[in-house]
Amino acid sequence: MSSATTRMGIDKPILIAGAFVIVILLVGSAYTLATQGTLSFLSPTYLLQQLQIASFLGITAAGMMMVILLGHIDLSVPWTLSAAAMLATAVGGPAAVPVGLGVGLVVGLFNGLGVAYLRVPSMIFTLGVNTVLMGLMVILTGGFAPQSAATDLMLFFGRDRTFGIPHAVILWIAVSVAIVFILNRTPLGRYMYAIGNREAATYLSGVNTRLVIICSFVICSLCAAIAGLLLAGYSSRAFQAMGDEYLLPSIAAVVLGGTHILGGRGKYLGTVIGAVLIVLLQSVLSVMQMPEAGRQIIYGAVIILMLLVYGRGDKLRA
Amino acid sequence: MAYLQMRGIAKTYGGVRALTDVDFACERGSIHAVLGENGAGKSTLIKIIAGVVQPDAGTMTLDGREVQFSSPLEANAAGIVCIFQELSLMPDLSVADNICITDPPRTRLGLIDSRAQRRRAEELLARVGCEDIDPRERVRNLPLSRRQMVEIAKALGRNPTLLILDEATSALTSSDVTKVYEILHQLRNEGLSLLYISHRMHEIKELADTCSVFRNGRHIETFPKDAHTDHEVVQLMIGREMSHVYPPKPKWDTPPQPVLEVRNLSWPPVLNDISLTVGRGEIVGLGGLDGQGQRELLLALFGVLRGVQGEVLIDGRKTAIGSPARAKSKRIGMALIPEDRKTEGLMLPMSIGANISMAAMPMLTRGLVIDRSREAQRITEMIQQLQIKIGGVGDPVATLSGGNQQKVVIAKWLMTGARIVLLNDPTRGIDVGTKQEIYQLLRRLADQGTAILFYTTDYDELIGSCDRVLILYDGKIVRELVGDQITETNIVASSLNLSDQIERAAAEARA
Repeated sequence: MSSATTRMGIDKPILIAGAFVIVILLVGSAYTLATQGTLSFLSPTYLLQQLQIASFLGITAAGMMMVILLGHIDLSVPWTLSAAAMLATAVGGPAAVPVGLGVGLVVGLFNGLGVAYLRVPSMIFTLGVNTVLMGLMVILTGGFAPQSAATDLMLFFGRDRTFGIPHAVILWIAVSVAIVFILNRTPLGRYMYAIGNREAATYLSGVNTRLVIICSFVICSLCAAIAGLLLAGYSSRAFQAMGDEYLLPSIAAVVLGGTHILGGRGKYLGTVIGAVLIVLLQSVLSVMQMPEAGRQIIYGAVIILMLLVYGRGDKLRA
Repeated sequence: MAYLQMRGIAKTYGGVRALTDVDFACERGSIHAVLGENGAGKSTLIKIIAGVVQPDAGTMTLDGREVQFSSPLEANAAGIVCIFQELSLMPDLSVADNICITDPPRTRLGLIDSRAQRRRAEELLARVGCEDIDPRERVRNLPLSRRQMVEIAKALGRNPTLLILDEATSALTSSDVTKVYEILHQLRNEGLSLLYISHRMHEIKELADTCSVFRNGRHIETFPKDAHTDHEVVQLMIGREMSHVYPPKPKWDTPPQPVLEVRNLSWPPVLNDISLTVGRGEIVGLGGLDGQGQRELLLALFGVLRGVQGEVLIDGRKTAIGSPARAKSKRIGMALIPEDRKTEGLMLPMSIGANISMAAMPMLTRGLVIDRSREAQRITEMIQQLQIKIGGVGDPVATLSGGNQQKVVIAKWLMTGARIVLLNDPTRGIDVGTKQEIYQLLRRLADQGTAILFYTTDYDELIGSCDRVLILYDGKIVRELVGDQITETNIVASSLNLSDQIERAAAEARA
């Protein structure tokens, strides 16, 4: 690999995933050309629409990447996302968005404290938090029916567009810039990679590793909360279990983008491409009228296949 | 024809030659001791024989047939069984489970026959004279010396023809050692080949029939046990005149101004009432047998351990050091070069540059942002100062040789401008050239006013590079040696906590 591509943050998984995105588009276009005589997959409208949908997953995956880089995982993402959206719409008015972000902050702090101080494996701890959040939301909606309509601000960011560009995509770009800044320009980012590689050595280098772990979980939950608010805006309302479809895809996006599942390695650009890849794959398969069962099989097979390709590359290098 | 015959074996790790052109043979019905300093290539030799690593060149024949082992399992099948220095038992399984782990007896249905397994474990335990161990007991509940005996029983269970013992007696009590000797002699008389690695000279004298000395990855000489005196054997192992390696020590007219003072530090049960001072510009050595609390002392000072009692004074002021982050703060200015650079010192897959700047990050940050040009400049400075041999700053640190990796760890801490440097066996497993550079560097730092506390398992280093040496025994400082007192005899005697007896003997001799 030449040093120029390395400097631009492009590595082998990103090239493979990028190439695969193009393959999906080409296959889809060939299909529509044959059946309808159009190239609807290459139309700007379709692509922007897909990017808007991808932004919810992309923002969730950006947060997920922060904890995966440490070698941890956050399984509380689905109900963090749902709880942020549901509480925000329940409160309503101008306080809605701060309340939603507040949910993300509190859950992130809780997760971070549990993992950093109690040393509970993150997989267990966040799974428990996810279940607790689910229960809390059931209580919230059980006794009375809180309002679930998205506020204007949520509609503005989640649904609306300016000059045809969805605001969600712009927000995704903003989140991405912030994440890239953190990862590449701040000590926090450097420490995150270091912890993922060898936590003991990082601690013995005089780094406050607990603080870094807490920060990563807070960023993760905040991203999930933002995605929840956007999604509620996009579908005009919040509903139970709206985050359930985001857990595995967000992990898959991070890993397909080349981030090592055990932490320490990975470029942010890969996560973006991973999110786009997953959304496009799902969309093209559904346009091709693949039955649900086939879609799931292909989707899962693609993930396994691509990870096999990455893994083999690692072995050759070693 | 020897039972095991190796010809022209070579192995390199990264840039480091672990073994060069080694010819080695091991007879049937004999106990063959392998001697050498740390890093002489003994472990690599054994790993090759046992199939753990594969040689880059050379051939190996077993019982006249050429063999190549791609895994320990294949070596096992050929009758080669290893007892490693780190215990390889699973603490939460029973003794019987552990002993039969590779090939448990099965019932007709293919399930593990636990009754037969227990019987087999009992037989093997009886063979090593440990009838008192209950095969149903969990290994976790056994004391260390008993576990070692279980390990030996487990090895015998695999019917070895060549048995390798790598420091296998280091955890044993003396009565167990006697038992092990008996078993080993018995096995030899049964016609087994035994390869034996130990650092205890008297053990080798008692056990071995043949000795081989390794040095810097080369096989120096093989001789019958009594062919050389102890002194000659040591000369073969070190192979150089000692005095030129170390930089000259300064003369101390007045004691230096103390920078680090420790009063009554305890961390039960490992550390017991330790008081010491390290002065400006002083190199203070920590000595003693391995595992007498030296590592814990350094970790306690660096704020890693919880529940440490006693006082630590920095520049005469009482200071609480609760974490490594606190220890490296400007007020304290402490650095620790940890014991195991691969797991405690380095992030191996990360770049050389990122590793070097890891500890000094707060000093390279303006606001929230890393000052990247300043970082690059400081990294270049450190690489030049320590003469680290690298390809590019962006290469993973894993690509460097052991010596250069250790230099990266040291560079990381020099960059913080530490005034107090703690070193935990920094020269282990690195080449002689780099060792010498490290000695020079330590003295240069001391001359610039750094206070250095230096733990090493190598007595020569204590003698050659330290102004004072503190000997630990069982978590206590049993002796302080200054200047001319720092001799091998004194160090060894105090390490075994025999100094009183020796002094008494000397006094009696005078009387």
